[in-house]
Amino acid sequence: MIQFTINDQQVEAQHGWTILEAAREHGIDIPTLCYHEAVAPSGACRLCMVELKDGNWSKLVASCIYPVAEGIHVYTETERVHNVRRWIFEMLLATCPASPEISALAERYGVTSTRFSAADPDRTCMVCGLCSRVCEEVVGLSAIATVDRGVYKRVGAPFSRPTDVCVACGCCLSVCPTGAMQSLFDTVRGIPATIMTQLTA
Amino acid sequence: MNDNARIGVFLCRCGGKIDSLVDLQALYEDVRTQDQVAHCEVLAYPCLGPGLDHIRQAVVDAGLNRLIIAGCEGRLMLKKFENYLAPWNFFKGQVDMINLRGHVAVVSDLSPADKARKASKLIRASIAEMRVLTPTSQTVKPFDGPVVIAGGGIAAFAAAQQLARKGIDYLIDVTATDLDALIRKVHESYPGEWDYDDRMKKMVYEAMTSDQATVLPPGQLTGLAGVTGDYTLTFEGPEDGLPRSYRSSAVIACIDAQLQAPGPDFGHDGRSVMIQSEMEALIFRRGAPTGKVVFWISDNESGQSDFAPLSAKSAWRMACHLRESAPAADLSILYNRDMEIPLTAAERAVNRRMNIMWVPYDPAVRPTVQSGFVTFCDLKDHVEHEMAWDHLVLSPIRAVSGPPLETASVLGLVHKGGRFLTGHHAKVRPEMIGREETYMAGSGRYPCSLEDALNQGRRAGSRTADMVEKAAAGEIQIPRIVCVVDPDLCVGCGQCQELCDCGGIGVAEGPGGGLPRVVDPMVCTGGGTCAAACPYHALVLQNNTNDQREARVAALASQLAPDEVMAFGCVWGGLPAADNAGKMGLKYDPRLHILGVPCVGQIDPSVMARALKEGASGLILIGCLPEECHHSYGLDHAWSRVNVVKKLLTLAGIDRRRIALAHADLNRPDEFIVTVESFVRNINSLGPLERTPAARGRLQTVYDLIKTNTRVRALLSASLRRPWEDAYRGDQRHALEYDRDFSAVLEEEFMNQQLLQLLRNENRPLKLRELASELRKSESRVAEGLLELVSGGMVNLSHKEREAIYRAVN
Repeated sequence: MIQFTINDQQVEAQHGWTILEAAREHGIDIPTLCYHEAVAPSGACRLCMVELKDGNWSKLVASCIYPVAEGIHVYTETERVHNVRRWIFEMLLATCPASPEISALAERYGVTSTRFSAADPDRTCMVCGLCSRVCEEVVGLSAIATVDRGVYKRVGAPFSRPTDVCVACGCCLSVCPTGAMQSLFDTVRGIPATIMTQLTA
Repeated sequence: MNDNARIGVFLCRCGGKIDSLVDLQALYEDVRTQDQVAHCEVLAYPCLGPGLDHIRQAVVDAGLNRLIIAGCEGRLMLKKFENYLAPWNFFKGQVDMINLRGHVAVVSDLSPADKARKASKLIRASIAEMRVLTPTSQTVKPFDGPVVIAGGGIAAFAAAQQLARKGIDYLIDVTATDLDALIRKVHESYPGEWDYDDRMKKMVYEAMTSDQATVLPPGQLTGLAGVTGDYTLTFEGPEDGLPRSYRSSAVIACIDAQLQAPGPDFGHDGRSVMIQSEMEALIFRRGAPTGKVVFWISDNESGQSDFAPLSAKSAWRMACHLRESAPAADLSILYNRDMEIPLTAAERAVNRRMNIMWVPYDPAVRPTVQSGFVTFCDLKDHVEHEMAWDHLVLSPIRAVSGPPLETASVLGLVHKGGRFLTGHHAKVRPEMIGREETYMAGSGRYPCSLEDALNQGRRAGSRTADMVEKAAAGEIQIPRIVCVVDPDLCVGCGQCQELCDCGGIGVAEGPGGGLPRVVDPMVCTGGGTCAAACPYHALVLQNNTNDQREARVAALASQLAPDEVMAFGCVWGGLPAADNAGKMGLKYDPRLHILGVPCVGQIDPSVMARALKEGASGLILIGCLPEECHHSYGLDHAWSRVNVVKKLLTLAGIDRRRIALAHADLNRPDEFIVTVESFVRNINSLGPLERTPAARGRLQTVYDLIKTNTRVRALLSASLRRPWEDAYRGDQRHALEYDRDFSAVLEEEFMNQQLLQLLRNENRPLKLRELASELRKSESRVAEGLLELVSGGMVNLSHKEREAIYRAVN
């Protein structure tokens, strides 16, 4: 058993658990977006940041990928954590302004506006890559992946065309934290004929 | 019932997302006391490290061998639990998940106590299924014997090369053994590929002379028996005509499309107007022709516009070859403006150096072949131009035909009509050995360049090699959920084989009917519509059997209130639509109780009847969108089965609207809700289903009939849509006539079933008069039915005081 504290509360954990897992087991809320229980954590969205303190020294870590260790002091609601969280939400609001899920979550943590300009007001995808990880790890297919790099990074099938590799299981759709996959899904599997007729009618 | 079952149930709080909406404590108290539930626990997050450790501990301490996790979407989470618990002998089928959050907690405004009651019904149903489950043991699949590379396509050499390099023995079926003849064959199937000659020669030499190679004498594949890992292939030679048999572990099909001349309207004569492969033969025979050579990319006009770029590329390569051997030749390529020139920037530079003219023509005016000229309309000036030629080269018509087609059909690769071998319908299990993907190579799949064909061959070769190596290491296990045939019950009617789209069902040995079928577990997709179609219940989907489903349905239906309805959602349509409705927090009628099923085609009509018999007031099957079924038309088969149950309900005096089939797209949860609301409304407008003893008896008759009556079941199977049929309803010669005939049969059999039931219930000899008055049918009709039951050995006929008396056989 590993002994450490979260928000000054003494907790116990097994070797191999992450801070996030230990916190959730003890009912401590840490917001996450790119984290899903079905796949290995990737630490992409940085929303689950917590502060590790040791005397005057402290550092911020992503709790979903940081393993627990003996004697660490974890704080989930400090000024520094709030600051980082606010920044992340502001950036997310600028990245995917059209996502109601993101706006709702940001509002829950007190962020309603952003000082960054939105490049694309219709964008819903935050490119956390959760969909492609689920496709790879749960479904075993890799029909979708992140395409391009840096600010051009996006999610899609090869050559942005409907792909036969996709079996249309909808796992990506069910895990997507922003609702972006709803519109992206048909570009990956192709639009079913029945829906096509509805659209063109 | 399986007495060894020790079931563990874990209820998920999901960090407040469930326990704030569902009274988990009450649910826990309820589930804990169920039979064979050895352990029950409420966990904060069963899916996270701490939760998994709890579950493992419980499995060890309480000796659990079945698990039910009531939390969220099994589609996403089940694999994690299965992987985690595999070292403790938990396999697919032994862990079940109930979407407590998405199907119960968030989708209605019921009180937490009511939600707990709804959840309890779903969990009890799952427990009932787990009690019946008898898990199969894990079986390793051996691969014995060499790999056979059949079909005579060019990709065979690439596949063989890969196998040779991995040191795997193979038998290769080639159309010729002479190296030059083989190279000519390459040019016949893939015209213009002159750059490949040296490499091809090397590859062919390596493939034919390696230590692993055995070159089969020329012959036609005529038979394939056995299953993956243990095939027997039969070839018939042209010389002696005697069949030769070979044992093999795996088969790679390398099939090339044939190039044929277009119709006479293209002026084809084979001497001066020819197709590309004939031009190649001419070059081989007499060397490159000089003078004016025009390549007309005629694919758009011959109805194969998809292959125009491929033909254009072949023509261009051929033109480059001609230019090199005849610098003064006049070379042009006449192409339809609708096609983009398929050349890369580097190739365009080569084209300029080679001085090959690309001449576009107006698609609206069809070029006409005349003696020495071809006329076409230029899009720029709208003037009809003429282009002179000494040799006119047309695009070929591509199709698989002749011996390669025969080979493909023996190997079970011909699924649909059409010119090529693409279009395998089943698309469900990534790790399965998909025949098309793994075992097929060449332009017979779909027209492609030589480079692509060789790449396909290499891929097929290396994948097969991996498989053989894996099998040798004992790592290939038979998938958990596949069909198995009980040879004692199978009468060899072949319905399942006809319905199977994955090609997993074959005859045990030899051709013809009347022989028991076998299932190739490595090819079976586990769709299960074949199992539900078996008139004799000889075909069973192991670890996901009909008995399991009946147990679950019966347990759920018996708990439903008169205004509650049951639904089946397939994991590709209805179930994810429900999951996503939950995820989006949409609300719908809480009286709907949904059960997941891999495909609605798996649902035997007896299960549908069972649901209504045990207490459901309505049953709706929610599958994929029309023509989007992931399994072998399971959706359409479900339609036919629902239809039969509807007819039987009418015969039993019950409203036929109590059962329905619906379609859902997983990306349209809002429409799923419309479907659900409408069905629940309809059922409630019908009022509760009558449950008097007489009504129960009639429902029992419906169930017994559809479960045991082989005549009705066989007729139903015969009416199901075959994979080669285009129409949703199947190829009935006359839909209405067919339906009337079927209804008549059902009516007849329904009365017989009622008679049988009456005799069984009374358990004493009855006279014709008594039976007729009981059923309110004419004596002559009842006598006919009795005669059939007597000749079927189900009823005993004897005489008492000169009058016939009937008694049910026990």
